[in-house]
Amino acid sequence: MTVTALHATIHPAVAGGLHLEVTDISVQTASVTSITFSDPSGAPLPCYVPGSHLVVQYGDGANAYSLTGSGSAPSEYTISVLRVEDGAGGSMAMHRLAIGERVLVSRPRSAFAPAATATHHLLIAAGIGITPMLSHSRAAAEWGVATSLIYVHRPREGPHVLDAREVLGPALTEFTDRVSFRKELTERLSNQRLGTHLYVCGPAAFMETVLGQARELGWPKGRLHSEPFGAAELDPGQPFTVNLARSGIMLDVPAGVSLLETLEKAGKSIPNMCRKGVCGECALPVRRGAPQHRDLYLSDQEKAANTTIMCCVSRSLDHEMELDL
Amino acid sequence: MRSSSMTPAEGSDLVAGFRGTICASFGTSAAHAEEDTGDRPRHELRFDSANPESLARLRTALEQACVGVRLVLAGPPADIHAAAATAAASGLMEEEVTLLSDGTGPRVVFCAHCRTATETLQAIGSQVDCQGCATTLAISSHFSRRIAGYLGFKANAEEAA
Repeated sequence: MTVTALHATIHPAVAGGLHLEVTDISVQTASVTSITFSDPSGAPLPCYVPGSHLVVQYGDGANAYSLTGSGSAPSEYTISVLRVEDGAGGSMAMHRLAIGERVLVSRPRSAFAPAATATHHLLIAAGIGITPMLSHSRAAAEWGVATSLIYVHRPREGPHVLDAREVLGPALTEFTDRVSFRKELTERLSNQRLGTHLYVCGPAAFMETVLGQARELGWPKGRLHSEPFGAAELDPGQPFTVNLARSGIMLDVPAGVSLLETLEKAGKSIPNMCRKGVCGECALPVRRGAPQHRDLYLSDQEKAANTTIMCCVSRSLDHEMELDL
Repeated sequence: MRSSSMTPAEGSDLVAGFRGTICASFGTSAAHAEEDTGDRPRHELRFDSANPESLARLRTALEQACVGVRLVLAGPPADIHAAAATAAASGLMEEEVTLLSDGTGPRVVFCAHCRTATETLQAIGSQVDCQGCATTLAISSHFSRRIAGYLGFKANAEEAA
């Protein structure tokens, strides 16, 4: 079956992906809808690591959505999409999908995996940030790993509240107001046994609140895991020139166009996955110049070394940058 | 604030939920005394060596502690590495543990054939007889943090008998 019949262009993020059919749609809340995809022939789908996401193409764009299942031997993939009226159009397109429609999706991608050595997972979610936590909770239940979930949502507006209650039982704590959540957060971050890892997903400001408080209470980076789905929109940046030293070509990277897109247009095939500075796939070696690091992947030390650039989001501080490419 | 941290709670049991710094020293090491823990509450543990009994006491202390705690281990390399392995098994992460080696004492060689740990003063690259199976072991530079020892394997094993 050819994919080109359905999509004029295949978005690079879903190239080599799966061609699935919408088999179920269920309304979670007034603004959140769950969509289930299956193989049209009923074949089993690839397994995935808890916390993985799926990139779904719509028109010429593509968006990433967290999978909500445990990931073991799946026969279907389910995502939940929050409708964003003034977004780029992805969520509106997802909400227009009907049962029986075909979609092109990536293979599941893992960028928010559970720590294998953890003896207790402390999950903290706000709103639609519940989706990867549901995946983590279901997987942990299958493996028998202790898991607690703190879920902050609007009164009567929490997506997957019933699922979370069913999977976690008394290990779920729900909050609908900020003050009591903050009080509980401080307490919980102060009384966790060693072996506990913290996972947070929600709006950027919410995640920063949780992670900031954890750091203040002595949690080292290695115990903190976050899913930056609501990453703030990056500004278009300044134009610069990139010199591909080994290929002997110079390319102009205009404002608003990423280095990765520029390289792809020039026929370079750069391995990449998330295209938002999270997964680390598109790392390129820098020979000369200082990158304007905008990714969430490199450590502070690695960023300071200026030897690697995540070309999907990062740009150049100088007018010209030289890559070992 | 500083005065409270100057009163080490040595000997007493760690209070449940402790999130300060645990300073465990082995042998006669005084290295830990130089470790400045700032305003953080401090709990001192002193042991002669890293043996099953002292490691069990360390484990008990860590079971009482909560995330936020830091561990400083001071003493001969073999002892602090054994204690670091206990700490890791208790759920502490590497970035939460500081090792202060006094740089003296034997190294532990772990036999690949019978899994016995043999202490030796021999250097990496030289040989030692395994105390478990008497095999002459070549001491490799491969160090296991989990086992807290250097890998030893049958010397000259590749040569025809």
